[in-house]
Amino acid sequence: MREYLDNILSVPTTDPDDSRRRRVLNILLIGTMVAAILGLAVLIANTATKQAFSQSETQLLLAGIVAITFGVLGIYQINRRLSGSIAALFFLLLLTAIFSFSDTPEQLSNGRSLFIFTLPIAIASLILAPSASFLFAAISGGIVALLALSIDQNVNVFAIIGFFMLALISWLSARSLESALRELRIINTNLDKVVVERTEALAASLERERIEAGRNQAILNSIADGVIVFDTEWMAILANPAVKGMLEIPLELIVDKNFREIIGHPKLAPGSRRLLYAMIEHDTQPLGFRIEWAGKTLSVSAAQVYNDRSENMGTVTVFRDFTREAEVEKLKSTFVAIVSHELRTPLNAILGYAEMFKETVYGPMNDKQVNMADRIIKNTQRLLGLINDLLDQAQMEAGKLTIQFAPIRPSELLENLHGVMDKTASDKGLRLTSEIEDNLPESLNGDAARLHQILVNLVNNAIKFTDQGTVRVRLFCPGENKWGIEVVDTGRGIPAVDLPHIFDTFRQVEGTATRVHGGFGLGLSIVKQLVNLMSGEVNVTSTVDEGTTFTITLPMVTNEAMETNWRIS
Amino acid sequence: MSELALIIEDDEDLASIFAEALRGVGFVVEQIPDGKLAQERLRSGVAPFIILLDMHLPLISGGDLLSSIKQDERFSNTMIIITTADARMGELYRDQADFVMVKPISFVQLRDLTARLKPKQ
Repeated sequence: MREYLDNILSVPTTDPDDSRRRRVLNILLIGTMVAAILGLAVLIANTATKQAFSQSETQLLLAGIVAITFGVLGIYQINRRLSGSIAALFFLLLLTAIFSFSDTPEQLSNGRSLFIFTLPIAIASLILAPSASFLFAAISGGIVALLALSIDQNVNVFAIIGFFMLALISWLSARSLESALRELRIINTNLDKVVVERTEALAASLERERIEAGRNQAILNSIADGVIVFDTEWMAILANPAVKGMLEIPLELIVDKNFREIIGHPKLAPGSRRLLYAMIEHDTQPLGFRIEWAGKTLSVSAAQVYNDRSENMGTVTVFRDFTREAEVEKLKSTFVAIVSHELRTPLNAILGYAEMFKETVYGPMNDKQVNMADRIIKNTQRLLGLINDLLDQAQMEAGKLTIQFAPIRPSELLENLHGVMDKTASDKGLRLTSEIEDNLPESLNGDAARLHQILVNLVNNAIKFTDQGTVRVRLFCPGENKWGIEVVDTGRGIPAVDLPHIFDTFRQVEGTATRVHGGFGLGLSIVKQLVNLMSGEVNVTSTVDEGTTFTITLPMVTNEAMETNWRIS
Repeated sequence: MSELALIIEDDEDLASIFAEALRGVGFVVEQIPDGKLAQERLRSGVAPFIILLDMHLPLISGGDLLSSIKQDERFSNTMIIITTADARMGELYRDQADFVMVKPISFVQLRDLTARLKPKQ
C-alpha cells in the first residue's frame, strides 16, 4: 500500500526542492480528485432524491466536476512527466478558476466565500515558489475586484490588502522552511562525507593492521631462530615453527603452557634447567647464555617487551642453535692448549741451550758468540711473549681466564717489574723509574701474576714507542676504596684520532707499525681485558711528541670479599 | 757429600738443560723420563734433596706422583719444584710444592734458584 502510494507520488527529479514541491502537488491533486468524486456522489444523491439543486445548477456542477477531473489528470501527467512549476501554475490557476465560480459574486467579493482565495495564495508559496504567493494574491485580488465591479459593488480593498499580507506571511514562512531544509541538507551532506571518510580510514587501518600482522607472522615463521613469546606470568602465548625443530617437541606442548612446564622436559640437561629456572624466578634477561637441549647446544637470550605506555607485556625468548659453534669453540680451546704446550716446550729448550752457551757452560766463547747467544735468547723470549699474548687472548675470548685474588705487596709488584724490564729499558738508553704514593696500603688484594702482566705490557709498550727520556711507573690512591697504576712515558705520543682504537685487538697505531715495532698489537688489548676482569678501568691521554699516560683505576678488594671466593670472571 | 737431585721430565732437551743447571750448582743429577719409572725410583729408598717434577708425564701424572711424595715421610725434607707449562695447573698444586716454575723456565733462573737452596758445604 505504502509502495503503491510512493509510486503514485513519485516524481522524476533529483533536485530535493523540486521533488518536495511536486510530491506535495501530487498529494493536493489526489485530494482534489477525491473531493471531485465526493462532489459527484453528492450530486447523484441529490438528483436521485430530487432535492435542493435546480437543473441548471446540476449541469453547472457536473461541468465543474468534469473540468476538475480532466484538469487534475492533465496536471498530474505534466507534474509526473514534464515540469513541476508548470503543473503547479496550472493547478493553482485551475483552483482559482474553480473558486471563482464556487459561489455567487456577492459572496465571493464581499461575503462568506471571500476567504476561499487565501488557499491558492498559501498553496502557491509551497508548491510553486515562495514569491508565487504574491502573484496569486494579485490574481485573487483582481478577481475579487472584478466580481465586485461586475455587480456594482465597492471593491473590498481591505480583503485585497489581507491577501497581500497573507502572501507576505506565506512567502516568509516558505522561505524560512526552504532555507532550513537547505541547511539541513548541507549538514546531512557533510555528515555523510564525514561518515564516508571515517569508514574509509577505519577500513584502511584495519587493512594495514592485517598486512602488518601477516608480515610479522611471516617473518616469525621464516627466521631460523626459535622464538617463544611469554606473557608476564611466563605463559607461552606464541611460538614460531623453528622452535619445534630446535627443542624437538611439538608446538602444542609449548603454546599455552607455562615455561616451568616446558623446561620440565626430559631432553633438557639438568644444569641448563637450573639456568632457565633462575631466569624465570629472578625475572632477569640474561643475554646469550647456553643450554643443552636434546643433544644440541642452544644459546638463549630473553628480552622484556614493553608497550607504548611502558607497561611490561611479557618476555620474548630467542633460541639459537649453537651446536656447531660450541664444537668449534671446544676444538679451538683444545687446539690452543696443545699448541701452547707444544710450542712452549721446544722454545724452552732453545732458550735453555742458548743460555747455556751464553753462560759458557760448555767452555769459553768469544764476544761475538756470546752476543749471538744473547740474540737467540731475546728472540726466543719475544716469540714466547707473543705466544703468551695469543694464548691469553684466546682464553679471554673463551671466557676462561679468571682473576685469582690473594694478598699482594705493591712494592713487590714494582720489584718484579724492574727485574724484568730494567734491562730492556737500559738497552734502549731509557730510564725506568717507579714510585709508590704514601697513602697506598702496604698490602692489597689482587692477582699478582695478572697485575705483573699488565705492568709489563704497559711498560713494554712505553719503551717500544719512546726513543729518549723516562718511563715512569706510579702506584697511587685515587680515592676511597680504589687504587691505581700510572705509566707515563716521554715518547712520540698517540694521535688523537687513534686514541679510541688503541685497545683494539690486533691493532697498532699507523697500521703498518706492527712491522717496525714487532708484536701482534695484543698487549694493550690484553691490558684492557684484564683490567675489565678486575672490575677496573683504564684510560689514556697523549700528546704527540710529548708522551703518553696510561692510568688504571682498580677497586680495593676487601678480605671478606676475597674469602667468600670472590671471583671476577 | 754431593746432594742428589731428581729431574722427572719427559722432554729430553728440557731434562738435559735442567740437569746441566743443577749440575752446575753442584748437585748429583738423575733424570727420569716418565711417571712409572719415577714411582719405582721413589719407592727404591732414594733420598733426593730436590725433586724437579713435571706435571704432564706419561703413564703416571705429576699430580699423582706429588701426592704419593707428600704422603711419604722419607721425603719430608725434600724440596719439591714443580715445573709446568700450564700456569693454572701450577696454581692448583702451589700449596703442595716448595716452588712452582712455569715454563718457559730459564736456565739461569733455575740455576740461581737451586744455588740458593743448596746447603752451604
